Amino acid sequence: MSPLVIGRSCFGLAALATTGAWLVGCHPEQSREGIVVLVDSVPDSLDARLTLTTVGQRVAQLISPGLITFDDEGQPVGDLAREYRMLDSRTLELTLREHLTFHDGSPLTSEDVKATFEGLISRAVPSPRADKLEAIEWVEAPEPLTVRIHLKRPYAPMLSELSIGILPRSRALPPDAAKQDREPIGAGPFRFAGQPDEEHLLLLPFESYYLGKPRIRKLLIRTVRDQTTLVLELLKGRADLVVGAVSPSLFPALLADGRIRILSRPGSAYAYLGLNLRSGPLADERVRRAICHATDVEPLLQAKLHGVAEPATGMLPRWHWAYAKTNGCRWDAARAVQLLQEAGYAGPQAGADPSSAPLAIRPRLRLTLKTSTDRFRKSIALVFREQLAAVGIDLEIRSLEAGTFFNDVRKGNFELFGLVFSQVLEPDLLRWVFSSSNIPGPENAFGGLNRMGYRNERLDEVLDRATRVDRDERKQLYAQAQALIDADLPCIPLWHESSAAVLSARLQEYEPSPHGYLQPLAAAREAAP
Amino acid sequence: MRRLAGTPLAIAGSLLLVSLFLDLVPGDPVELMLGEQAPSIDRQALRHAVGLDRPWYAQLWLFLEQLATGQLRSSLPPFQRKVLPQVWAALPNTLLLTFAAIVVAVLIAIPLGVAAASRKGSAVDHGAMAVAVAGVALPRFWLGPMLIILFAIKLDWLPVSGAESARHLVLPAITLGTALAAFLSRVTRASMLDTLREEYVTVSRAKGLSPWAVLWKHAFRNALLPIITVLGLELGALLGGAIVTEKVFAWPGMGTLLLSGIEKRDYNLVRAVVLVFTLCYVAINALTDVAYTAVDPRVRHR
Repeated sequence: MSPLVIGRSCFGLAALATTGAWLVGCHPEQSREGIVVLVDSVPDSLDARLTLTTVGQRVAQLISPGLITFDDEGQPVGDLAREYRMLDSRTLELTLREHLTFHDGSPLTSEDVKATFEGLISRAVPSPRADKLEAIEWVEAPEPLTVRIHLKRPYAPMLSELSIGILPRSRALPPDAAKQDREPIGAGPFRFAGQPDEEHLLLLPFESYYLGKPRIRKLLIRTVRDQTTLVLELLKGRADLVVGAVSPSLFPALLADGRIRILSRPGSAYAYLGLNLRSGPLADERVRRAICHATDVEPLLQAKLHGVAEPATGMLPRWHWAYAKTNGCRWDAARAVQLLQEAGYAGPQAGADPSSAPLAIRPRLRLTLKTSTDRFRKSIALVFREQLAAVGIDLEIRSLEAGTFFNDVRKGNFELFGLVFSQVLEPDLLRWVFSSSNIPGPENAFGGLNRMGYRNERLDEVLDRATRVDRDERKQLYAQAQALIDADLPCIPLWHESSAAVLSARLQEYEPSPHGYLQPLAAAREAAP
Repeated sequence: MRRLAGTPLAIAGSLLLVSLFLDLVPGDPVELMLGEQAPSIDRQALRHAVGLDRPWYAQLWLFLEQLATGQLRSSLPPFQRKVLPQVWAALPNTLLLTFAAIVVAVLIAIPLGVAAASRKGSAVDHGAMAVAVAGVALPRFWLGPMLIILFAIKLDWLPVSGAESARHLVLPAITLGTALAAFLSRVTRASMLDTLREEYVTVSRAKGLSPWAVLWKHAFRNALLPIITVLGLELGALLGGAIVTEKVFAWPGMGTLLLSGIEKRDYNLVRAVVLVFTLCYVAINALTDVAYTAVDPRVRHR
C-alpha cells in the first residue's frame, strides 16, 4: 500500500476484498500531500552508474548528483564541485563544496569521489559508463575538498563524464555496491524513501542538501505506460509534473483544461534524416542537397510540434556554447529540381514549374525512408513524402519495429532513416556521429554512430584534435567541423525539440531545465491546498 | 486425471514456442537496452554475462536450470534481478482483476440473458441482445479510456488508474468484463431457450409454481452447464484481455510485467510470465471440470 494513497470511501465489494490483502486500506481523498511526477517507463535502475534509460538517469541524478552538471548553454559547471580547472593538459583539479553530506549523514569528501571513480575504472561495478572513463589514469585525493584527476592523455570531453553520481565510499565496491540499485544513497536534493512496488517510487526532501532543503514535502514518481492514461491523470488532477513524455499532439487537449500549464525551453534533442552515403543515389551530394531543399520543416513545427521545437542547422542547438552558424539549405523546391536534373534525374516533367506540378506518375527518383512504429514519427514521415513528391521524388515510408529498425540502421540497410538524438550536450558527440572511425562495422561490434557511412579525412582530423585542446580552441575547431559537415550534408538537420514540462496548478516556481532534468524540483514549491 | 496428464505437455509446448519466437524476433536485447547513448560499451561482454550469445535452446535450458534452483534471474545485463519476486507480486493483482471481471460479467450476463430468454422476441430481448453485440464489438483499448473520461473525469466518481484501493478496481473490471458479459449473455439466452422448451418446465408450470420459481429453480439450473463451459473457455481469452486492460489502467499485474519484459527483451521474464499464464489456463480447465460435477451430478456418475 502506497503511503500517498487515497480512496474517498470504501467500496462494498466484500467478496473482492477477501481475495486481495491490499484492499484493506481506505484513506480520505481530499488531503493530497506532495508532488506526483509521472514517467512513461519504470526507471531501470536507481544506481547512477548502471542506469541506461533517460528516466533512470533523471531519477538517479535527483538522488545522487555528480561533480559536474550542465548550464543552459550546455557548458559543464560545478554541481557538487564548486569549481574546476586544468592544471595542465592531463590534470584536472576540482574543489568540492564545503559541508557536503550524504543522505545517511556521513560527510562527502574527496575520498568518496576517489572511491566512486576507482570502483568504476577497476570494473568492479559492471557500469556501461566505465568505458567513457577509460582515459583516467588515476584519481588523487590530496585534501578533503580537493580531487585531482590524472589522465592518460589530453582528453577534453572528460569533464562532461564527471556528471556521474558520487556515492559514499562504502558503495563504490562490492558487495555493498549492489545496494545502490534498489536503495540508493547520494548527496542530492531528494532522498530515497521507498519503492512500494515497481510502479511507485517515493522520495523525501533532504534536510542537508547544499542548496537548502527542498520545499516539496513528498515526491512520488509513478509509472504510467499508456500515453492516453497519462494525459487523463493530468486532466483528473492526480499528477503534477510530466517532463518530456507527452506527445506535442496532445498539448491542445491539455491546455483546454485551463489549470494545466506547459512550460518549454529550447532543448537539445536533435531530429534528423540520416542518408546512406555508401552507394546509390544518395552518395551524390547534389541529390542530398536536393532533398534538403525539398523538405520544409516550418509547417511541421507549427502543425505537428505545436511550437515546441526550433529549426536546426546542424547537430548542435543554437544556444550551445560550441554552436557555429552554417549556411544550411532553405526550402527551395526549384533549386531542388535543378540539382536533381544536374545529377542526372531528369524525370518525365523536366522544366515544369515544380511548385504547381502534380504528383508525377513516373517519379524521377524512388527512395525509401525507414522509421520507427511511433505514430507521431510516422505522421511526420508522411509529410516528407508529400513534400518530396512535389519535386518528383517518390519516397516510400517503411515503419519498422524498434529492434528491426535499429538493426537495419546499424547494418547500413537503408536509404534514409529518421531518428532523434535525445540529448546533444558534449560536442565530442560530433566525432561519434561523423568521424569515419565510427562507421559501424565488425571491428566496433556495429556500435559506431556514423550510420551514414560518411568519410571526410579533414573532418576526422579536426574532430580528433578537438578532444585534446582547451575550450577556446575547441570552439574554433567545432566551428570548422560544423562548416565541413554542412558542406557535405551527410544527414539532413530537421529540428531541436524543446524540453516541455506539463505542470498542474499545484506545482509552483518550477523553472524547466533545457536538458529535461528533474533538478528544478529542488527549488519548486507546492501550492497550499 | 487424463486432462492433468496433458499439463506437462502444454507447459513444455508453450515454453518451446515462446523461446523460439523470442529468438525469431529481430533486435538484439543488448542493443535495444543501450540505445543511442552508449556507443563505446563492450556489448559482447554483456551478452556473454547473461548467456545471450548462446543458441535459443541453450538459453531455454539455462532458464529451466535457474528455475529449478529457484535462482531465476533477468536475462538483461547488468542488473540480473530476480524474476520470481516480480511475478509473485504481480500475480495476485491479475487474479484479482480477472476475478472481478468475471463477477462483473456474471452479474450483467445472467440477468440479461435470462430476461431475454423469458420474453423471447420482445423489446427486452432485442434490447438485451443489441447491448450484447455492442459489448463484444467494443475494443478494450477504446472502452477503457472512454470509461475513464466519463466516470473519472466528467463525473469525478472514480480514480483514473493505479491499483491502490477497491475503487481503482471498478473501471478495469468493467472494461475487462464487458466483452465476456456480452458473449455470456448470448449463451445464457440460447441455453435458457433450450431448457424452457423441455417437458419438465411445462410440468412445473402446470404444477402451479410461480413463474419466478420455474425460471430460476428449474430452467436456469439446468441451463447452467453450457454457461460454465463457455465461462471456462473464455477465461483464457480474459487473461489475454487483461494485458490490454492492465496497460490502459496502469494496473501492476502480469500483463504489465509481460509488456515490460517484451519491451526490454528480457527473455527470462517473458518465459516466466508465459509459464504462469499457461499454468493458470490449465488450472482453469481443471476447475471447470470440478464445477461441472458440482452443477450436474450426472457428470460424476459417468
